[in-house]
Amino acid sequence: MLRLTCAALFVSVFTAYLRAESAAPLRFETDVRAILRAHCFQCHGEEPEVQGNLDLRLVRFMHRGGDSGTAIVPGEPEQSPLYQRLRDGEMPPDESKQISKKELRIIHDWIVEGAGTVREEPESLGLEPYLTEEDKGHWSLQPIRRPNVPTQVNPNLVANPIDAFLLSELKKHDLEFSPTAPPRKLLRRLSLDLLGLPPSPESVQSFVDSIASADGAEKIWSVTVDTMLESPHYGERWARHWLDVAGYADSEGYTDADSERPDAWRYRDYVIESFNADMPFDQFITEQLAGDELVTSPLKNLSAADAKRLVATGFLRMAPDGTGGAVADKLQARHDTMADTIRIVSSSFLGLTVGCAQCHDHRYDPISQADYYRFRAIFQPAFDPDKWQVPTKRRVSLYTDEDRKRAAEIEVEAKKVDAQRTSQQKVFISATFEKQLKELPESVHELARAAHETAAAKRTPEQNQLFKKHPNLNVTSGSLYLYDRKAADELKELAAKATQIRATKPKQEFIRAITEQPGRLPATHLLFRGNPDQTRQELQPGGLSVVSLNTSLPRIPVETSDVATSGRRLALAKRLTHPEYPLTSRVIVNRVWRQHFGRGLVETPGDFGVQGMAPSHPELLDWLAVEFIESGWSLKHLHRLILQSRAWRQAVTNHANRNRVDPDNTLFGSGKLRRLDAEIVRDCILDISGKLNTKARGPAVPVMADRVGRFVIGKENSNAGRPGSVIDMKGEQYRRSIYIQMRRSRPLAVLEAFDQPPMSPNCDKRNVSTASTQSLLMMNSELLLTYSRHFAEQLSQLGLDPAERIEAAWQAVYCRHPSALEREATLGFLAEQQSVFEQLADYKAADGKPPAKSAELEALAVMCQMLMGSNEFLYVD
Amino acid sequence: MKRHSKQCTSDSRRHFLASGAMNVSSVALAWLISQNRGMAEVKKPDLQKRVHDTTPKVPPGEPKARAMISLWMQGGPSHHDMFDPKPEMAKYDGKEFPGEIKYDNAAQSSSKVFHSPWKFQPHGQSGMELSELIPHTGSIADDICLIRSMHTGVNNHGQSIRALQSGRTAEGRPSLGSWLTYGLGSESDSLPAFMSLIDPGQLPVLGVENWSNGWLPSIYQGTVVRPREPRILDLTPPSHLKGKAQRRALEYLEQLNANHLTGYPDSTDLQARIASYQLAARMQTSATEALDLSQESKKTQEMYGMHEKATADYGSRCLIARRLVERGVRFVQVYTANQLWDSHGSIASRLPAACQKVDCPSAALVKDLKQRGLLDSTVVHWGGEMGRLPVVQNDAGKAKIGRDHNTYGFSMWLAGGGFKPGHIHGKTDEWGHKAVENVVNHYDYHATLLHLFGLDHQDLIFNRSNRDQTLTDGQPGKVVKEILA
Repeated sequence: MLRLTCAALFVSVFTAYLRAESAAPLRFETDVRAILRAHCFQCHGEEPEVQGNLDLRLVRFMHRGGDSGTAIVPGEPEQSPLYQRLRDGEMPPDESKQISKKELRIIHDWIVEGAGTVREEPESLGLEPYLTEEDKGHWSLQPIRRPNVPTQVNPNLVANPIDAFLLSELKKHDLEFSPTAPPRKLLRRLSLDLLGLPPSPESVQSFVDSIASADGAEKIWSVTVDTMLESPHYGERWARHWLDVAGYADSEGYTDADSERPDAWRYRDYVIESFNADMPFDQFITEQLAGDELVTSPLKNLSAADAKRLVATGFLRMAPDGTGGAVADKLQARHDTMADTIRIVSSSFLGLTVGCAQCHDHRYDPISQADYYRFRAIFQPAFDPDKWQVPTKRRVSLYTDEDRKRAAEIEVEAKKVDAQRTSQQKVFISATFEKQLKELPESVHELARAAHETAAAKRTPEQNQLFKKHPNLNVTSGSLYLYDRKAADELKELAAKATQIRATKPKQEFIRAITEQPGRLPATHLLFRGNPDQTRQELQPGGLSVVSLNTSLPRIPVETSDVATSGRRLALAKRLTHPEYPLTSRVIVNRVWRQHFGRGLVETPGDFGVQGMAPSHPELLDWLAVEFIESGWSLKHLHRLILQSRAWRQAVTNHANRNRVDPDNTLFGSGKLRRLDAEIVRDCILDISGKLNTKARGPAVPVMADRVGRFVIGKENSNAGRPGSVIDMKGEQYRRSIYIQMRRSRPLAVLEAFDQPPMSPNCDKRNVSTASTQSLLMMNSELLLTYSRHFAEQLSQLGLDPAERIEAAWQAVYCRHPSALEREATLGFLAEQQSVFEQLADYKAADGKPPAKSAELEALAVMCQMLMGSNEFLYVD
Repeated sequence: MKRHSKQCTSDSRRHFLASGAMNVSSVALAWLISQNRGMAEVKKPDLQKRVHDTTPKVPPGEPKARAMISLWMQGGPSHHDMFDPKPEMAKYDGKEFPGEIKYDNAAQSSSKVFHSPWKFQPHGQSGMELSELIPHTGSIADDICLIRSMHTGVNNHGQSIRALQSGRTAEGRPSLGSWLTYGLGSESDSLPAFMSLIDPGQLPVLGVENWSNGWLPSIYQGTVVRPREPRILDLTPPSHLKGKAQRRALEYLEQLNANHLTGYPDSTDLQARIASYQLAARMQTSATEALDLSQESKKTQEMYGMHEKATADYGSRCLIARRLVERGVRFVQVYTANQLWDSHGSIASRLPAACQKVDCPSAALVKDLKQRGLLDSTVVHWGGEMGRLPVVQNDAGKAKIGRDHNTYGFSMWLAGGGFKPGHIHGKTDEWGHKAVENVVNHYDYHATLLHLFGLDHQDLIFNRSNRDQTLTDGQPGKVVKEILA
């Protein structure tokens, strides 16, 4: 209901604005319809059963009226039941949905002015929602055109057009940019933003020196940005943002079992590599949506490039998927996976909450339920509920024909050893049997031999009787070792040899992909209430009709002859990456902007619909979107533009006047103090303490529950439910967070504490919390203690002078020198801590042995721990 | 009322004060609670530096309640089958529903009347009729105030949850617990003021939003307690840091943070993190103790159903909730798993299972608070964001049928804290479809709650972007006098 009120509020403010601007007469479409849509349409028009037979969706219908006659008398609000009912609070019947005085006034004035419309209304309305010009007028559906760059701004502050757009808005409020941040802060900010790792003390120093000495400071800045963009760590940082949107997880979710997705990591690596290579984003979109439709080599013998395209479709396999496990309702589980996939696709590329139209027409945006199922039809050939592939069945092997041939050859070799073993076994058994037989009278030998030749189940009663009497005659492959150890060992060796041979086969690896069965085009039906048991009319594939209103966009075919598959997803990709498509580029540039500035131009990155927020700088958004497309969809170009703007380089400042005018910094007149994301907190701690393992790519580093049930990095090693010894992770525990397994039910404790989002199904915008549980982790966790000690050891290797160690610690953690006061205070602190530890047994020399632990080092470790727990480390300014 | 942790020497307390962040309670109240509405016009210019803390504040009104435990039944418990008997419906069972139905959906679902298959009987002196699904709740009938006329009027889970949890259906607003701790602080300085006890299953719909501080300073955010042991991680300092070493270390940290704060004196995030370290230090002893259920007698544990598989989890969490409010925590919310109560289908098996999980623990909580003399000052709330419809959904046989959403009329109950015991308020229509008598909207409920805490819903304001914000946000909330004791 509040949504309604909000929408209505927006509309009334909007209409008031229009009136002030034009003083044109009030019109139904521009002034009144949105109010009635929010409060009245559902019962008076949209639902099949129209209350009081009064349909309020068209003025034509109001004149026709309902059970109690006409609804409006133009010029006479007091005689118009529509106005009377609203005024008296009789309608809407829900107290909470009643309209505001302002809205009532608009309806009153509209009737006074003759209850006019902008244009002639249709005779009747079909089943599809009636889309008016005003629906079409929603900002995010307008074609994107490059706006003129404002010129009336202080040229000294303009590094590129971004600044001009922002300054021209600031100027309207008598504000300007804040000064540029000091070099050390700037470099730390840049490094954390682009790489998610702190700059090395050496690079900070050299940056500070060069920017101070050179007169080409801009040039130095630009080179610095470029250098960082070429770092392989860039992809590891920025892929994370996309993986949030894609809902990346290394497990299936949906059920409590939450089974692992062993092959999901290839998609993660694909994203990282694509970002690092600055793959044009339109290609990135296309491969994720329809990489399989671009594949030309046979699935059984994929080329490297095609394998990559297939890996990209892992995007469509990210939704929670319970279809491979035990679920109460298998059909429902399939439909749920499809629904979540559509939710991910639409929030990530379209910025529309298409998922809201699954069970009924979208309540706010002009997306009908039929539109939803047309959109779903695009995916139906790949997600065919009647020919569903469970997760393990949808893997595509990376075996090539060459691999297959090699494997077959090796198998032949192994079979030879198998055969040798089988015949050898026969010989051994026979010999052993005969040996046993010798000890029995000759008379039973024939019977015994016959029994030995016969399978146990088929023996005659007589034979059975004999074996029962002489159980030692029962020589089998399983019991041979009891009689003849040497023979058994010989057989074992042969078996091992076969295994060894088989192990030399090329390792078979798999891709988690989407594929279609060529020629199979399952029908898509509208599902009544979204219920898979209640199918209604068949629908053909289509993009959303509302998006096509203003521009001509490629349509989605039922099938195409260009590719072997249906071609529907490929057509969708073409549509989404078409330069006239109004949403994709706006949505993407807004996401990138948001990550750089901590605030979006649109603060609802996944909802550009009516319920989302309007852009704070619509022209800047469009300018960036056009620039992005014209640069060949280059993300790195976009990064450069943003990072080289003055706006991005501003210091975080605190001006009374700006705080008053723009307390939320929506005008971008200052930098923003931001807490580090979960992964950066962990990665920086690893890096600072000298432990970071920069190995890239590969299977996820596993996560397990520790003694107390906390999820930590490690391989599970339990023996009959009891924890076994800790398995050495061989440095894998020091890898960047993006490579750590993201199992939905096992969030890594340190990442969860700092708001790593649960993927259900994806995340558009992370929560940033401050909780005492985070503080406890920084104070007491094994993790912090361990890395603080590593860090202290590093520092101690620099030399014995505590002041030097302090200096180095400050540079590593804060990227700056300590002040004299800080140094003094820290020296005092170290001495005091050391004296406290010296009182403890572990730190004392005893029985002529040196102390087990160094009190001095421990004190240093505590200092390191406190630095890493401090605000200056956890926030970037 | 305020207790000082043993670990805090007077020296370190002075130090905390010097950091300037969190301990200036007298100032906070001056601007926090605006004067009477009549005087609001002549508001003085806000010259005081804004300081946010969780020290206890004295509300302007006369408080009945000091703490609240909300047993949050997300998904929509079926009032027809638990709280709101409609015996007259029996003769229409399975027949065409004669009235108008507001479905969640534009498309119509089944219109077959669905009379509750469960029996109701009167309980206690009050004769409150409750169903056989919740016998333990029956045993506290004389302690609870049952509202049968709840209404939010928005038929989606997310929006209706927001209406009840944060006052409005819009996203991003502070939750009820955040408002209460913002207005009143906490009576404990060694436990978080607002704690969320989540279920071992999935998070409720909207997840972390349920305990979000929205745009209130982050110090008012709910702290999550894990659903299994250890309920809070890292509560114990490593042995070499115990005592003086850690105390001095945290003072040193505070010094670092205080220096840093001088660059950003208005950042409530930085202030909140400084405060969170102070709180964390004290939680090391107090939370360990508060969460230790082994201190409770076997009798108490069994009263909460901790010995039975079906009730062990929810019972433990209800008992923890009692221990927390006993120790001064202001607001505790105890969740059920995602959509536990959302009985679109298979209501015949799903609903009894859900009832069994919470019935005994919920009743035990009320009884236990009462026997300890805490019920008078503690509000216990039991309810979700909606009820169900009087007609069949998913007409696919007795085992599979269910009921669709209904936010136009549903039930919830409150106990203690100044709510009228043994009382039934409001009515739904003859079908249990819409609230028709003494309708209680979410904003009426919020206005009433705040009133019992000595706060006026129009005066508990937070100034954001130069606009005064309230929990009820200009909605016409009224204190429901009839449900006050």
